[in-house]
Amino acid sequence: MIVASYDVVVIGGGPAGLAAAVSSHESGASTLLIEREDRLGGILKQCIHDGFGLERFNQRLTGPEYACKEIEKLRECGVKVFLNSFVREIKQLERGFELEIQNSKGVARVGTKSIVFAMGCRERSAKQVFIHGTRPAGVMTAGQAQFFINIQGYMPSKRAVILGSGDIGLIMARRLVLEGAEVEGVYEIKSEPSGLSRNIAQCLEDFNIPLHLSTTVTRVFGKERVEGVEVAQIDSNFKIVEGTQRYIPCDSLILSVGLIPENDMLETLGLVLDNSTKGPYVDQNMHTMLDGAFSCGNALHVNDLADFVSESGEIAGRSAALFAKGELLRGESLPVEDNGKFLYKVPQFADPCSSEDLIFYFRVKKECRNARLEVKNGDDVVFSKKYMVLRPPEMEKVIIKPEKIVHKDRSLVFNLVEANNE
Amino acid sequence: MQKFLQSLEKKLIKKGFANIKVSLVNESVLLEGEVDSLDQKLEAGYIAAGFPFNQVISNVSIKNLKEEPFPKASLTDESLNGSIYDVVIIGAGVIGCSIASKLSAYNLSVLLLEKESDVGMHASSRNDGVIHPGIAAKPGSLKAKYNVRGNEAYTKLCEDLNVPFFRPGSLIVFGSSALRLLLPIFKMRARANGVKGTRYISRKSLMRKEPYIEGKQYGAFYMPTTGQLSPYRLVVALAEHAVENGVKVSLDTLVSGFEKDGDGIYSVATNKGSIKAGLVINSAGAWADKIAEFAGDKFYSLHFRKGVDVIVDRKKAQFLNHIMARPSFNLAKTKTKGGGLIKTIEGNVLIGPTAHEVVEREDYSTSSVDISQLSNHFKLNKKIEVSDIITFFAGVRACTYKEDFIIEKSKRVRNFIHVAGIQSPGLASAPAIAEDVVNMSLDILSSKMVIDKNPNYSEKRKFSIPETRSMDAKHLEELVKKNPKYGTIVCRCEQISEGEIRDVFRSPLVPVSLDSIKRRTGAITGRCHGGFCTPRIFQIIQEETGLPVEAITKKGGRSPVILKKTKGDIDYSYVKTSAQEDVQ
Repeated sequence: MIVASYDVVVIGGGPAGLAAAVSSHESGASTLLIEREDRLGGILKQCIHDGFGLERFNQRLTGPEYACKEIEKLRECGVKVFLNSFVREIKQLERGFELEIQNSKGVARVGTKSIVFAMGCRERSAKQVFIHGTRPAGVMTAGQAQFFINIQGYMPSKRAVILGSGDIGLIMARRLVLEGAEVEGVYEIKSEPSGLSRNIAQCLEDFNIPLHLSTTVTRVFGKERVEGVEVAQIDSNFKIVEGTQRYIPCDSLILSVGLIPENDMLETLGLVLDNSTKGPYVDQNMHTMLDGAFSCGNALHVNDLADFVSESGEIAGRSAALFAKGELLRGESLPVEDNGKFLYKVPQFADPCSSEDLIFYFRVKKECRNARLEVKNGDDVVFSKKYMVLRPPEMEKVIIKPEKIVHKDRSLVFNLVEANNE
Repeated sequence: MQKFLQSLEKKLIKKGFANIKVSLVNESVLLEGEVDSLDQKLEAGYIAAGFPFNQVISNVSIKNLKEEPFPKASLTDESLNGSIYDVVIIGAGVIGCSIASKLSAYNLSVLLLEKESDVGMHASSRNDGVIHPGIAAKPGSLKAKYNVRGNEAYTKLCEDLNVPFFRPGSLIVFGSSALRLLLPIFKMRARANGVKGTRYISRKSLMRKEPYIEGKQYGAFYMPTTGQLSPYRLVVALAEHAVENGVKVSLDTLVSGFEKDGDGIYSVATNKGSIKAGLVINSAGAWADKIAEFAGDKFYSLHFRKGVDVIVDRKKAQFLNHIMARPSFNLAKTKTKGGGLIKTIEGNVLIGPTAHEVVEREDYSTSSVDISQLSNHFKLNKKIEVSDIITFFAGVRACTYKEDFIIEKSKRVRNFIHVAGIQSPGLASAPAIAEDVVNMSLDILSSKMVIDKNPNYSEKRKFSIPETRSMDAKHLEELVKKNPKYGTIVCRCEQISEGEIRDVFRSPLVPVSLDSIKRRTGAITGRCHGGFCTPRIFQIIQEETGLPVEAITKKGGRSPVILKKTKGDIDYSYVKTSAQEDVQ
């Protein structure tokens, strides 16, 4: 049994964990990165389409290219990495934590002053959206289909129906067509697409793949392999419109019905999750309510862009290093408030006394046009921006300068006002 | 009997079934005619079951509905043709496998036939794994007799087979003082059926046992013998134990008829050839009535009651300590126990089952109605919510109209044993049923041969897969030093290692489908539902079997997961070597 000790342990070697490990190291902390797969890069490894890195590298990169850039940075600083390693248990000590890690060499106990949780997210499965009917082969999540095709070179479908217009679903619609499969259509239960506008245009419209809104898959047919699905239109109360059911023959049903941050480990430490993000509550340092526990990337909340994931990883890694050295002050974290128009804002808490830029990410509850965002501190407007359109699938980022915040005992309030109300 | 036939006829006419003809066949009553719906067919059947005939055969057809055709074999060969066995068991569910396992203690050649690609694919693994205490069955019924005996047998059986088993006990919770008036009925049942250790517990001690119980409760009836296990692990273990002791299992083998020899069966016709059999045991589950018909001894009909269970995230298991249900007013009818909340040995919570009659024997589709029927059970616990559901599944119970088991030597075929209508509590009863069927078998065979004990028999199952998840660090470390593959986790949600998955391929009975690996190891069953691990398990199956990827199925038959390769064979090995980081 190996016993070791580090200042910072980062769990997860995707873009969030990679950035966190590098920034923790650069902040002077001894750092260990733990990854359960045999290669670093996380889900980026299978995202062979481009569009990554526009913010972070000013370049249009594929997922593996983006991952390689991050992995190279990590290699240069010589951070210790455990691959194929699984965290069995985390114990909270009086000061810091002890992790029990297993891999093909055995079991290791690792002590650490702080932990960065960067486990990413998982896909919601067919049963979690209550798809009924039979249970044949050929029902799979878009990410699984992506792994089969892009990593293993296997075709799981020749004629697919895609349920859900999440980004992975849209990207897989195009990918399947490029590999010679037929995509009958993409069906979305909501009246608005769930994915980014650019993906609707580039993955569906450019390939003549129809998108059916307010329509969902109601039943799966086929005892052994999928033989077809039944789709039906949905009214505004998410009830099936009788008479609109139709049968579509296909050999697979591919699902892109949402992502869930993976925080089961955090829950074992007694942390309560934010119901709207499914991640922990954090302050501007990505510090959770548990001292020494930090969260970032898609484990904190599901991001649209890998670039934002890396950015939050950097903050979390740096903060974790400072915490390990005893240099991170909790300060007076106040809840960030809003006027009810937001799906969520991250971080949920902020210290008005912070001397660093405050970075917020938010999503709106409903699509709105010509809207103005005002962030207030007391009666002072500390940030203001006009948006042509804001949609729930598109995450927005806001940077607030610390010098603008005058009322150090007042929290920040996000207000969104639509033009016709102004 | 003619008198009863006449009064049955009258009653059927009174209930609007004037076109149903009744007659006497093999001491049972035969119903013939046509009705408009399944409900009507069942009603007529139940009316007939209320008369003192042996069983009810219902050949009543339903308007505009064709009878479900007997299954077709997906392949044919001659691999079993001309073989000779002392005993041929038809159907490798929990009953067939229990009988095979117990028969393997004798020096007999035993062949266990299963039409599916794995054992326990139907009712035996599509249930909640509860080892019922034996209180629900009518006193004097076969269900009551076998359930209580079977329940007792499970402690030792699971030890011998190395199958995880526990007895969390069950609680029938009284939601009102009026419902508590049922208490004497439960007490009486327990006494009549010989269920041990049952008692009433007060509200206060109920709150201590189940701190997260919802609402005001008026105490509970406590049954400490109620157990729970993974039903498919049990069936696999029974089959493996049988194979270790010399039983031959033939999968993908469908019986299509019998060749008779006077009043006995001479040989069994299958898609793999004709097998000469000294004795045939019919444990064919949902198709048992058809097999009996093939043998020329049809004296009962089966009808099919689907049940749906949901599985809740293992995170919530800490909030439930027992198997818990509300009292059911159906107790007298014993058609369903009404379902409830079930703490499982695997650390999940299971909720269900529902019950509704269906036409098809193997239709495991579910609908939103099933789930909404179960939503009521969620109200029993403060912490378990509908949003915690990670998956759901259906099973079909094969029932006789008398709603009791049939376990007997055939009265008309010399070397044929019926084990049919094994609905709930069939799992709990299986060890006791097998014991009696083995005695019947020895009885029949001993007239023709001398039967010795099997000198190489071992009561313990030798093969088992270690469960790394539950090991402490020290034991895991030792295991990993011996085989590093136990250190690498493949299924992250359920924490199943590569070693455990590869072990399946060293087991006494190696089927190769994703579902059979799932049933043996628990991989794929977690909250991501195989989203992450399925492709990796695929790779392992390929490495272990050398099968082309298109030939690997989800559940046997024609259920491939991969349809073709994108670009032919690509060697990805270079990726691994160049990206290999320093591992610990």
